[in-house]
Amino acid sequence: MIEIDITKPLHGVSGEMLLEAKLTIAEGDFVALAGESGSGKTTLLRILAGLEHAEGTIEVSGETWQEKSFHMPPQKRGIGFVFQDYALFENMSVIENLLFVQKDNVLAKHLLEIVELSELSHRRITTLSGGQKQRVSLARAMMKRPKLLLLDEPLSALDPSMRTKLQQEILTLHKEFGTTTLMVSHDPSEIYRLANRVVMLEKGRIKSEGTPKEVLLQRSSSQKFSFTGELLEIVEVDVIKVAVIAIGQQLVEVVIGEEEARNLKIGQSVRVGTKAFAPIINHV
Amino acid sequence: MSKLEATITHIQSQEALHIVAFDFHGLTLKMMSLELPKSAIVGAKVLLGAKPTAIALSKGEAGMLSYSNQIAMSIKTLKAGELLCALTLEGFGVTLESIITKESALRMALQEGEKVTALIKASELSIMEVLDV
Repeated sequence: MIEIDITKPLHGVSGEMLLEAKLTIAEGDFVALAGESGSGKTTLLRILAGLEHAEGTIEVSGETWQEKSFHMPPQKRGIGFVFQDYALFENMSVIENLLFVQKDNVLAKHLLEIVELSELSHRRITTLSGGQKQRVSLARAMMKRPKLLLLDEPLSALDPSMRTKLQQEILTLHKEFGTTTLMVSHDPSEIYRLANRVVMLEKGRIKSEGTPKEVLLQRSSSQKFSFTGELLEIVEVDVIKVAVIAIGQQLVEVVIGEEEARNLKIGQSVRVGTKAFAPIINHV
Repeated sequence: MSKLEATITHIQSQEALHIVAFDFHGLTLKMMSLELPKSAIVGAKVLLGAKPTAIALSKGEAGMLSYSNQIAMSIKTLKAGELLCALTLEGFGVTLESIITKESALRMALQEGEKVTALIKASELSIMEVLDV
């Protein structure tokens, strides 16, 4: 069990606020930390790593990491940390980066195999692509067989196909090493694929938590698909009306009835929803 | 969106799939849905909706139909365009909109004031809002 009960004042863009996190995490869980930027996700991760101090207690499998004035130093906590910007030793080779953490050649080679970097093990970090660098960070984070793996938006700088590949590798490592993993993520598909639990933070407080489905699915009505957009225009075609709505980077058209049209105003923010029965899925 | 105020009378569930029965002026309506709003419980008053394009019509003896929702109404207005026909139906104190092809409207010889049955599949009916419990 990991028991977290901490508070820390934060100086965010929206002014002063208090980070208040009381959480119990079961061993082996994969927890996604979600929420808007500035909600305290990264700070919570850094407090767990011992990189920042907070009030309160942190206990990991019966071991006290923080209590009153005691803060266990980061290097003594059994953690692995993967940052968004890799944080590797650029002047060292791939394998040297791993062995720097722990002189265990067998483990280093095994980890490089999992992240498919065996052939590049003697390459310098500066010659690697972003995706390859992040795989090195990931492998390096596992060198101490951490109890707790902390991932701070590790894949946000990568392109979608590389992201999917690394998600698979993260999951493989998480399962093989039996670690408890906490990952900051904004990406619902990533959260759904990896996490068995989501904690949603808002202004320093836990707003909701549960399975990805419970937390991320729109359930305000019985409509499953729901997107927010701006109503640009209502065009009359024959005897029907077609609403043109901007959703993200796309324009969509929705056929609406007279009564629907009467209740809508151009420029309004609208939610477009449909039940799960109508959409048709095709290959891309 | 045509809206009907109804009361939940029964919920059948199989994992994430639900069939919800409603009372609408003594008539039973059925909705098929994945997930339900938490407040949608038996006894709750809800606003049901269906897209005008999801409302079909029948006139006269139609034989047996699989539509779970069959509401007897009359045609209030009928507006025919080049390809489509937009109708408003009234009954039970509510107005429903239906959009069908003009060809169907002609084939059925639909006229204002005529009695028809509005047909809505259970999968096309949605809870738009839970009003109260």
